[in-house]
Amino acid sequence: MGSVHAKSLDPLPMHGRDLGVNPDDVIEAPEPEHEAKQEILENKDVVVQHVNIQGLGRTKEDLLGYEISEVFLAKNLIDVMKKAHLARQKLLRLGIFKDVEVLIDTSEGADALPNGLDVTFEVTEVKRLTGSYNTMVGNNEGSMVLGLKLPNMFGRAEKLTFQFSYGTKETSYGLSFFKPQPGHFERNLTLNMYKVTGQFPWSSLKETDRGMSAELNFPLGITNHTLKWEGVWRELGCLARSASFAVREESGHSLKSALSHTVSVDSRNSAIFPSRGALLRVNQELAGYTGGDASFLKEDFELQMNRRLFWDSVLSASLWGGMLYPLGGQPSCIADRFYLGGPTSVRGFGMYSIGPQSEGDYLGGEAYWAGGLHLYTPLPFRPGKGGFGDLFRTHFFLNAGNLCNLNYGDGPRAHLQKLAECIRWSYGAGIVLRLGNIARLELNYCVPMGVQSGDRICDGVQFGAGIRFL
Amino acid sequence: MAAPLELYCWRGDWGLPSIDTECLTVLAYSKFAGAPLKIHKITNPWKSPTGTLPALKTREEGSISKPSNIIIHLRKQKYNADYDLSAKEGADTLAFVSLLEEKLLPALIYTQWVDSKNYVDVTRSWYAENISFPLNFFLPNRMQNQQLEKLRLVRGDPMLEPGEQLEKELYRDALECMTLLSQRLGSHKFFFGDFPSSLDAYVFGHLAPLLKIKLPNGKLQQHLNSLDNLRNFCSNILLLYFPSTGQDNSSHKTPTHADGSDFDSEPHLRRNQILSALFAFGAMLGYAILTGIVSIERVQPQRALQARKRADDEEAD
Amino acid sequence: MSLAAEAFVSQMAAAEPWPENATLYQPLKEDQILLSDCASSLAVQTYLRMCGLPVQVACRANAEYMSPSGKVPFVHVGNQVVSELGPIVQFTKAKGHSLSDGLDDVQRAEMKAYMELVNNMLLTAELYIQWCDDATASEISRPRYSSPYSWPLNHILAYQKQWEVRRKMNAIGWGGKTLEQVCRIRSAFATSSAQFFFQPTELDALVFGHLFTILTTRLTSTELAERIKSYSNLLSFCRRIEQSYFEDKILSVSLSLFIPSLIPSL
Repeated sequence: MGSVHAKSLDPLPMHGRDLGVNPDDVIEAPEPEHEAKQEILENKDVVVQHVNIQGLGRTKEDLLGYEISEVFLAKNLIDVMKKAHLARQKLLRLGIFKDVEVLIDTSEGADALPNGLDVTFEVTEVKRLTGSYNTMVGNNEGSMVLGLKLPNMFGRAEKLTFQFSYGTKETSYGLSFFKPQPGHFERNLTLNMYKVTGQFPWSSLKETDRGMSAELNFPLGITNHTLKWEGVWRELGCLARSASFAVREESGHSLKSALSHTVSVDSRNSAIFPSRGALLRVNQELAGYTGGDASFLKEDFELQMNRRLFWDSVLSASLWGGMLYPLGGQPSCIADRFYLGGPTSVRGFGMYSIGPQSEGDYLGGEAYWAGGLHLYTPLPFRPGKGGFGDLFRTHFFLNAGNLCNLNYGDGPRAHLQKLAECIRWSYGAGIVLRLGNIARLELNYCVPMGVQSGDRICDGVQFGAGIRFL
Repeated sequence: MAAPLELYCWRGDWGLPSIDTECLTVLAYSKFAGAPLKIHKITNPWKSPTGTLPALKTREEGSISKPSNIIIHLRKQKYNADYDLSAKEGADTLAFVSLLEEKLLPALIYTQWVDSKNYVDVTRSWYAENISFPLNFFLPNRMQNQQLEKLRLVRGDPMLEPGEQLEKELYRDALECMTLLSQRLGSHKFFFGDFPSSLDAYVFGHLAPLLKIKLPNGKLQQHLNSLDNLRNFCSNILLLYFPSTGQDNSSHKTPTHADGSDFDSEPHLRRNQILSALFAFGAMLGYAILTGIVSIERVQPQRALQARKRADDEEAD
Repeated sequence: MSLAAEAFVSQMAAAEPWPENATLYQPLKEDQILLSDCASSLAVQTYLRMCGLPVQVACRANAEYMSPSGKVPFVHVGNQVVSELGPIVQFTKAKGHSLSDGLDDVQRAEMKAYMELVNNMLLTAELYIQWCDDATASEISRPRYSSPYSWPLNHILAYQKQWEVRRKMNAIGWGGKTLEQVCRIRSAFATSSAQFFFQPTELDALVFGHLFTILTTRLTSTELAERIKSYSNLLSFCRRIEQSYFEDKILSVSLSLFIPSLIPSL
């Protein structure tokens, strides 16, 4: 169930904010001065003498020094404006300012040079504490969610987030602390503590996780790396009395302590509807080495390539694969194995309803692969072009995949053969809706093929929502 | 002889001397054993010396609130209804009391406190009507939580959730238990012959509320009604040992009833009224002060005006 | 599952004969199982032997969590999972195996009541000794209970269990009891039950399970066993059942394996 525990807490701030930045603001702000001194400044070299930041409260200045230092290197006015614009975006990305305005003026005062410029950033800090309150009803359960956020806790863009959900059946919480390295926002450390409960009806399984994790993100060349340690106390139980005995046997408590490393290269121009570029993500997890009951090695990769064709249509090909290798003679746990099928992976099949099962409960597999070929086109006749219509795409797809358990004594040849047997595939067409820049909804008509006995299929119209998709 | 022991228990209704199972058990036992208790029938558990009902105020051991302990204490005081029982019968008593507590009590709690229709229509409305003013808003809900907790403990399942499955299991056990009791009782007048013992008190305490309190979802009630000997057993005890409560069956809505204990509850009633009046007054005063603080700036100019006026008056003098 | 469906399933279960591969699940015999669970498990095994129903015993570290009611032991028969002696008796009855058919109504009522008494007093007393007596809890119960888990889960689970049991004890009024009082209750039980046994029934299986386990298990205090030993009729009862149903020595072997692993002290 590796993919199910996507944390609801978002350690990276200000996705929405970034989108809201309107580059025109920056250019417009210096316009009046610019006109007045156009003659003098246009061809001349300039020197940025002072950079001021106004409106700072609890933010430490040394943090901002790294972000705005580039401005001093500008040699002419156009350059100053460009660099100031970049600096503004860097500041906004920190997630600690509600708004940043840039003013560029000629230097004044005793030490003013004739071609000296002063750049002033006027910032508005976000509140010390923001809170949110939601109530949610659904699935026979009501819950209230309380969220607290302390952005810029110690004045260097640290962020503490706390989320507490109190439900009629379950309570869950998450506490997360985020600390970026000053000047290198992409290098950051996140500490998490959480309790989450998940119900997985396809396996008749209920899982409660209490855990903590430490995560280190850093870029290296064009790649992004994440190093993570996670210690989690897992409690598995049957969702219903009628759960199969195979699931019942997995019930109980276990402790997992795992080190994992993820490397990703992403050159796509958009996460949801990319039209060019590729994504490669490789994830490896080693559990048991640092203690705990579960010990295994898990490898997982994801590859996606996009190519623009005629009339704004995009051809997208993706391949996923993964393998779980149990260590120390222990069988793997149902919560660690892979699952496949559903409206965001192999379409036309029920949610995670491919592969080994017992009495209708899907047990997951230790190896899987899945591939997809998509042709995305704009809506027919392009209604709402340039606006609302761009949230939608039609797509034609061909998905295939397989999930099984391997007998690790047999050697790679036998493994490949096993994975090539009984391939499930499906084709169809549908409409995709983009939700913000993180998720998408799909309504597809699917035709599942290569169905094996035990698989649950969804022949015809299938609806799905997801963050990660094939 | 010294002053009699004092017993605090819930008030009765629906022709029962008390509406609470544990109180009924203790009351029945004390009648069977002929213990001369001074009985306070109250509707506020906070007035009991232990904070729960029933409670027996004793001289030597302070106050006792668990029914089994109360019975043990009464036994020590030579008020023993089980004196004539053989060792086997004594063991039977223990066994059947266990049976009641394990099988019937959970269903009883469920039907009165967890079944939402019964709880809202009957249980909560009775307690809300009878408990005095400020307490009646939260005590019934608190009692419900306590009972649910008790149910969880008895069933040994901390994750227990009310639902159809649970209801079915509980009722199945309870129906079986009632059938077993009926079989054990047979055609006897009491469980061990012609005289009532502590087992009779326990059985009466558990069954009488089921028989008398009319609940909208009355599965248990229906089954009990079909067991003639158990029904007669309960009505016999009510008739023989609590003759006075049968009369105010029709007039249970009236606050005063023809019980001997009414004299004791009378001052409590008055104290109740005074307390609630005081509380209401305090709340109003508090509110007044609060709003006074808020509107103090509006009040002050007036006062200043008055003060000046008074000063003017003085000058005029 | 709807009522009708469930009725159908139980009918199906009744129609199926007792399979050869029926399995009884209990916690790990050598390192983990505690007195109360061992007693309950032995009671179920004895009952099934009395009925002549074969069952394999499987030991699992997570038996408690596998059980649908959270209590051990439980049996896996065909597609069905049934836990605790009471439901198992009902289950075998549905399949046509019953020990109490020869009893009249009153005797059956009394037998059921006594079974509840055993659960109510003996089991509670065992739980009390295991978890509420500090010496036993710290030297035997907690280490054994948590033996399959790694640090720090072992401490968390053991204390969680102890807290849960203690809360229950407090709620049912056993909270402040001392060990001597519990022993007194138990001996009161012994007096009462010593005079009451029919031909082999589920009650005998239950009583045997508990008494035999108490007699053969060493706890920090031997007082309990001593108390029971003072009732010669109970001792001979245990011996009789052991001889008639456990002649194949499986039990003795298993118990002798299990006893030395308990920490002798005091």
